[in-house]
Amino acid sequence: MPTDVDPQVRTYLREAVAKLRGAGFASAHVLAVSRHRVTAAIDVLGAGVARGQCDGAVLTVRDREGMVREHVTNDLSRDGIASAVKVLAGNAREASVDFGRAPAAPPIPNPELRRLPDAQLLARVGALAMRDREVSSRVVYSAALLDIDDATVWSVAPGRDVVQRLVRVRRSLTRVAWNGTRPIVSEATRAWRGGIDEQDLSQAEIVAAKDNALLLMTPRAFEDREYAVAFDPAVAASIIDVAVRSLLTSSAARRPEVARRLAIGANIIAPLVTLVDDPTAPGAYGGFQFDDEGQPAAALTLVDRGRIVGRLEDQGRGRGRRPGHVGRVEPAPSHLRVAPGTFEAAALVDDGFVLEGPLGTVVDPASDRVVIAVARAHERVAGKRTGRVFADIELVGELGKLFASINGLSKQTQSIGLRDELDGQPRWRSIETPWLKGRGLLRARRRPT
Amino acid sequence: MIDRRTLVGALEVSRLADWVIVERRREIGSVDERTRLRRTEARQLWTLTVHHDSPAGRGSAHITVDAVDENAEAVVDQVAALARASIGPTWLSRPLAAPARVRVEDPALAKREPLDAASELVKRLVRPTEVVATATITRDHVYLDTRAGLHAEWTETLYRAELLAIAGARSVVLSRDARHRDGLDLSAALVNASEDLKLLARAGAPVAGKCSIVLASEALLHDGIGVWAAFVSQADAVIERQGLTRYRERAPIMPGADQISEPLTIASDGALDFGVHSVPIGDEGDAVRRFPLVERGVAAGLGLSPREAALRGRDANGGVRNLVVEAGSWSGTIDASMGRVVEVRRLRSLSIDPYTGEASLEIALAVDHSKAGTRPFAGGSLRIDLIAALARAKRTAAVLTRGAYKGPQAVLVERAELIA
Repeated sequence: MPTDVDPQVRTYLREAVAKLRGAGFASAHVLAVSRHRVTAAIDVLGAGVARGQCDGAVLTVRDREGMVREHVTNDLSRDGIASAVKVLAGNAREASVDFGRAPAAPPIPNPELRRLPDAQLLARVGALAMRDREVSSRVVYSAALLDIDDATVWSVAPGRDVVQRLVRVRRSLTRVAWNGTRPIVSEATRAWRGGIDEQDLSQAEIVAAKDNALLLMTPRAFEDREYAVAFDPAVAASIIDVAVRSLLTSSAARRPEVARRLAIGANIIAPLVTLVDDPTAPGAYGGFQFDDEGQPAAALTLVDRGRIVGRLEDQGRGRGRRPGHVGRVEPAPSHLRVAPGTFEAAALVDDGFVLEGPLGTVVDPASDRVVIAVARAHERVAGKRTGRVFADIELVGELGKLFASINGLSKQTQSIGLRDELDGQPRWRSIETPWLKGRGLLRARRRPT
Repeated sequence: MIDRRTLVGALEVSRLADWVIVERRREIGSVDERTRLRRTEARQLWTLTVHHDSPAGRGSAHITVDAVDENAEAVVDQVAALARASIGPTWLSRPLAAPARVRVEDPALAKREPLDAASELVKRLVRPTEVVATATITRDHVYLDTRAGLHAEWTETLYRAELLAIAGARSVVLSRDARHRDGLDLSAALVNASEDLKLLARAGAPVAGKCSIVLASEALLHDGIGVWAAFVSQADAVIERQGLTRYRERAPIMPGADQISEPLTIASDGALDFGVHSVPIGDEGDAVRRFPLVERGVAAGLGLSPREAALRGRDANGGVRNLVVEAGSWSGTIDASMGRVVEVRRLRSLSIDPYTGEASLEIALAVDHSKAGTRPFAGGSLRIDLIAALARAKRTAAVLTRGAYKGPQAVLVERAELIA
């Protein structure tokens, strides 16, 4: 079981802010986090539960000239925080600071994750694994996983003392089968913020994970050329995530090519597209109540019917996010939401390809070049699937042209949670998107030998 | 509160078959010009690797603790439970070898705070063009203890610089890692970037067709070790044991690779002074050694963790770390009189298939050399079988040391095709 943080930690944080103010800094803010990660997994080799803990406090001050000074410690004891304060403020005396009303304790999830024994976690994962009863001898590896990041975050500054508990849960099922000389990996994942049992994978998602692993790929050569394409929500999410992080942030705008191409007011995206970053969306995996600079969460429209109207900004503008809540602050999205359209997902492309299974998207901010790699491209002719499925396909071109070509969005949407790490610290975000329809140059990633 | 002594005490009574504790007392200083930020970090991190033996086999677990307010017994209970849950084939820990003698600490940092050094680094940058810099310096005091009684401690430093160079409407991003300040070589990097920005300003569109290609240093080492990463996955002992590598030990890396005039030789050297992946001893207590990956065109070695080494009855070598590629005799002069040569100066992206070595290179900036003259262009892709291409490539005699790489400055690959 994880060790609980000292319940007096908020008092220590207040003392820290008071001392930093006493040292004469124009502004002072302390962000602290106590984060527990629990991963329960069952695979073909066995079952296990891994638990990890990461604590941290970031003390941030700004001087009269606007220079920012930060110090980070992973010792949340009274002495640990006092030592950290000393680095910035020396032996300054505490100033009198009004912190406003003390916040209510964040609600405790039911069941309380930190008290949940390994056996109960494994029982949940076992139940997930057992839901796919049609066993295929071609599946050579299968795994079920429950991954929980449980972070309590305190933000204390003059006039503001807030706390939030962010419980991020991911359930996923993985199936691997051979196709020729290559392993095909297929995954179904559901990610949300809230209680451990609040959501679950649907039976259709579980069956699709297995079916996608077992798909027999068309062996004939793929003809490289421009096609009508539909992106499934996972691929669409991969594109939107990379595009927003590398183009629609204040740090991206430092690059002159980005600032010129994506100036506020620019109309470079199809008018069907409206994109909002909304950390307040209920249950959103990437959502929060306040950002890592202590700013309260609020929705921000980035693209309004094809027109760029905003970008993600840190430095007190609502999207200052730190990897693991303790890394260096960077402007980053929370829960990106693309407004749905009017098409049925199943009828988006008459003649062309439906792209599924994101393998990675690369956007070059300087040139707008994009490469979107996908695991599968399903061919459609006259509104029906032909049965031909090509493996390892990529769409290449200019991102602006691709977004300008979007001529359909589905009514149905899906929410995709993403978790990656920077210098060992996690970054969480989510994207809610419909299927997107457009045009682009498709080519095989591997040349026939 | 957790400390090394209580962890060792808890491990000693845990009846685990073997264990290794690594404690890192980390100090970080960083300066970011974008946000006008000066940042320091002081953290204590522990990594534990434990092995549990049972009649069914051996189970291993590896965890990292990034919090001071932990309970040592609880941490050991957790990691032991994890090891018991992951029983696999039996293997025995081999006797530990002596740590490598390698320099990984910048002497200039011995009496300086990382933040001061980072500030000075940014302040003293020679800026041929507008530059937005971020510099981060990490100093780790590392303490390693094993169940067998081996104790080692050392200090390692790491400099990281991320630079955005801007000229007019163009920009390029540079990143450098080094164990010591001079290893960053930022002045040369910025001069090179400044020249490339001028080329970018007059770059045209790519023209598809057959050509020879020269991978210049920035493209060759894109994102770290660049194209040479193709050989790292081939030397992964786990992938090799599963039969998924393209070639096996003692076989040529491609047909005829051992017959050409300057066959390729690559070594992994984790004991290279100031190599960014150099370290005296690994986190699993495995002594780090220099070993060949490819010797005169023939696959010669694999990166062996203690487990993989024990399963093969060999000694662990610390895995693949810094790459040392033997230089060739090519002068580096581009001669377009015999046909078109594309000099690739920067890449937008590089993706390498870990099993086959097939790669897709997206060009950010290249110079087209032909009888008609030279012409810079931006864009286009190259599809290369990197194993075959690098086995045959001409390598420069001039050697470059950067980050985790020591080897030729550039390579010339004949018979490639540029896709527009």
